[in-house]
Amino acid sequence: MAHGYNGKILHVDLTDGKFRVEEPGEAFYRKYMGGSAMAMYYLLKEMPPGVDPLGPDNVLVLALSVLTGAAISGQSRMTAAAKSPLTGAIGDSQGGGFFPAELKFAGFDAIVIKGVSEKPVYLWINEGQYELRDASHLWGKITGDAEAIIKEELGDDKIEVLQVGPAGENGVRFAGIFSMSNRANGRTGMGAVMGSKNLKAVAVRGKQRPSVADKAGLVKLAKWGAANLDDSDIAGIAKYGTAETTGSNQTSGTLPSYNYNSGVFDQWEALDGTTMYDTVLRGAAEGKQDREGRDTCYACTVRCKRVVELTEGTYKVDPHYGGPEYETTSTFGNYCAIDDLPAICKAHELCNKYGMDSISCGATIAWAFEAFNAGILTLDDTEGLDLTWGNAESMVKLTEKIAKRDGFGDLLAEGSERAAKKIGRGTEAFLITCKGQEAPAHMPRVKRSLAIIYATNPFGADHQSHEHDPAIEDDLEYYTERMAVLGFTEAQEPRSLSAEKIRFTAASQRMYGAMDSLNLCQFVFGPAWQLYGPADMVTLVRTVTGWEDVSFDELQKVGERRLNMMRAFNAREGLDRKDDVLPEKLFKPLKGGVSDGWKLDRAEVESALDKYFEFCGWDVSTGNPTRVKLEELDLGWVADQLGL
Amino acid sequence: MEIHLQLYSILREKLPFDAKGRTVLQLDEGATLADLLNELDIKRRVVISVNGVLESDKSHQLRDGDAVKIFQSVSGG
Repeated sequence: MAHGYNGKILHVDLTDGKFRVEEPGEAFYRKYMGGSAMAMYYLLKEMPPGVDPLGPDNVLVLALSVLTGAAISGQSRMTAAAKSPLTGAIGDSQGGGFFPAELKFAGFDAIVIKGVSEKPVYLWINEGQYELRDASHLWGKITGDAEAIIKEELGDDKIEVLQVGPAGENGVRFAGIFSMSNRANGRTGMGAVMGSKNLKAVAVRGKQRPSVADKAGLVKLAKWGAANLDDSDIAGIAKYGTAETTGSNQTSGTLPSYNYNSGVFDQWEALDGTTMYDTVLRGAAEGKQDREGRDTCYACTVRCKRVVELTEGTYKVDPHYGGPEYETTSTFGNYCAIDDLPAICKAHELCNKYGMDSISCGATIAWAFEAFNAGILTLDDTEGLDLTWGNAESMVKLTEKIAKRDGFGDLLAEGSERAAKKIGRGTEAFLITCKGQEAPAHMPRVKRSLAIIYATNPFGADHQSHEHDPAIEDDLEYYTERMAVLGFTEAQEPRSLSAEKIRFTAASQRMYGAMDSLNLCQFVFGPAWQLYGPADMVTLVRTVTGWEDVSFDELQKVGERRLNMMRAFNAREGLDRKDDVLPEKLFKPLKGGVSDGWKLDRAEVESALDKYFEFCGWDVSTGNPTRVKLEELDLGWVADQLGL
Repeated sequence: MEIHLQLYSILREKLPFDAKGRTVLQLDEGATLADLLNELDIKRRVVISVNGVLESDKSHQLRDGDAVKIFQSVSGG
């Protein structure tokens, strides 16, 4: 008997409005587990190579895992995957909230969406029933308004709504998909794909909770997490948010500033999570921010999400749209040398209202700032916007112009790489993109394993695809038991790209791939500082599914399967090692702070890539999966697709 | 000797709420960062700056008037 999942996948073709319900067997769920690996299965099976990412032949998959909806912290997350309009390669993003659990309770484990609707529609799934409804009246609405209208017309305030905002409708290449108007499947432009299909939203409601194999075991594991949260390393994230890392990153010289030219920003304290807690969280003035200024995902006791409310001053911010993470305070803040926290909160609110990835949006603006400060972009180019470092007013205006594809914003809505190609004049030197996706706020010149991941990751620069270097450098002593499960016991030198560091990079990438296939939060589960460790992840899978013989190695294989399918997808699109390149900027020295002068060495990076591909079992010259590796992962059908 | 201490994030809760993580501590001459962490009962992974400069060596000897900032931190986000 299957536990943890519904056994039903909903397929919808928006071109003819037809539905199909597929009921894969247990072997399918055991092999792919859900989320990202399951999404890759459908993308490879159902999408031919070479399709237009914004055309009808792209396939958008929304996928949950065998764990989604179980009553424990860190499980209510969902994968959105399709061919990316930002990178032209595989697109993949993860998001949390209440929608993922509610979709499970509505009766489905995934939705596979094809075609394009003639007119705007939304998909309504209620207790296993489904229909497409007219969304003409919702088109052009910001997320908060569209969400409210859908809930009102369906007559249930407990409905969860996943949607694109106007940015997704407008084809902004880094538009995301949002639920609760503040939880984002942000990266790789999945919102632009959904918008191109004229699919405004997916609304879900249900009470069909899948069975759990060992209810008492699940309760025990959940209670352990709740009891140990305050003594764990994520206690700070829980209370002060991810921006609590601002100060430590500044001190360590890894706070990307001035568009990645420096690892320090003198005004960092204005953006720190501690400052946010004291000043901008809802209820801060009355000391009630713990109750009113934090939010959570389904069944999660961590409550790390921020809720910002500003009712006075230049920038008013509506708490409905949540509050910024560290990535957002960085891209709109230190990337642009802006220390105006209310302005950053406003830019974040605009991203959530219009539906844009705040990493790519802020980083694209930072690219424009650098080009302006270098004297290449002029006021004529920017339609009078002064992009001098630190100009918060221009940053906020530009954010809205991007969402609306208005004037200069229309160019930036293409992402920084396309914008640089169009502008030329040497602005390519200011890019911080890998495969066309803007780099998040973790610096490969300091944490060197990021150089490997940023270069090779199939969906572009990403910080949530492996465990960062500290866990196998100075911090290893704090996490010996957990890291031993992954097979690592010897600390490596800071900033090394040793063979052991690269083996760690590949191994932890598999674990993160497993977590993105099990749709687990990477603050709650992980290999080092997270609330739960690798052994707990195995226990959770056994407890929920009843697969008593599941091992950590089997879960690692799921992560490896996911990564190999992604690389295979890209190989079908003609990508290979020549596309695994880092921005030129990373080979130039950082300026200021403890990381002054630090840079990557080209020969060392290439040698590290050789070793990484060897550890992955791939062809070192192309970086692509081999038939031997794919068959080892029971993916012979993928090798057939590649003609291997 | 006097150490001007600033604690961030969850570490602030080592001090009374109104202190907002800021205090002046009296330590014995020759005290090290390890001594300071013991005094504060901080056992988890932290990042420390002394007078604005990263200091990873826990045996680093503090001096009268030093400004020490301590961050509890994780490496993700």
